[in-house]
Amino acid sequence: MKNNIKVQRAIHDMTQADLAEKIGVSRQTINAIEKNKYVPSTVLSLKIARLFSKPLEELFFLDETD
Amino acid sequence: MNTNYLLPNKYKSIGWILFTIGIISGLFSYFIPMEKEPIQTKVLSILNNFAAGPNEMEYFKIIEAGIGFELILLSIIIGGLIVGFTREKIEDEFTYKLRNDSLVWAIILNYLVLIVLVLFVHSFTFIYVMTLNILTPLIFFILRFNFIQLRHRSHEE
Repeated sequence: MKNNIKVQRAIHDMTQADLAEKIGVSRQTINAIEKNKYVPSTVLSLKIARLFSKPLEELFFLDETD
Repeated sequence: MNTNYLLPNKYKSIGWILFTIGIISGLFSYFIPMEKEPIQTKVLSILNNFAAGPNEMEYFKIIEAGIGFELILLSIIIGGLIVGFTREKIEDEFTYKLRNDSLVWAIILNYLVLIVLVLFVHSFTFIYVMTLNILTPLIFFILRFNFIQLRHRSHEE
């Protein structure tokens, strides 16, 4: 799965640490998600989507291997 | 994340201290064998005298024994368990996954190492090496868990 959280963060002018704090995870977690090293749970994905006021499909995308 | 088997984060430093003391004194006792046991005391032994044969086995007896090795082992095991199973400062689903992955990785690596040892180390030396193998699952787990966390921490963008 891919995502454009990094882009969304830039649009909202947020650092990894800001985003992490707002949704209650560690900065490493945001870092791992942005690098596609970690697929967040549905709960966490929904929290991110709510924060950016976007539907999930505009933040997370399936890739060829999924 | 609901991980209720984890200890509070404040115990982690105690764990690191115990673990480090244990590892350092363990290494010392491996490479510089002591002439005699530093601490002799009466201990409860539930199984004793195995080497003399099954008929000579003694059960549940108070015996006099050195406990230096026991203290070192306990300090590494208890310290290691505390380090591995206390909450991180921010405990979330990624930490949870990382901990589980590291445990699986440590068990597999440990038994791969053991296969190599079974094949290539023999007789009494094997028993000697096996005493190290008691601790390697915990040590591999702690090393990998902390290594991956450090790697993700160092990439601020």
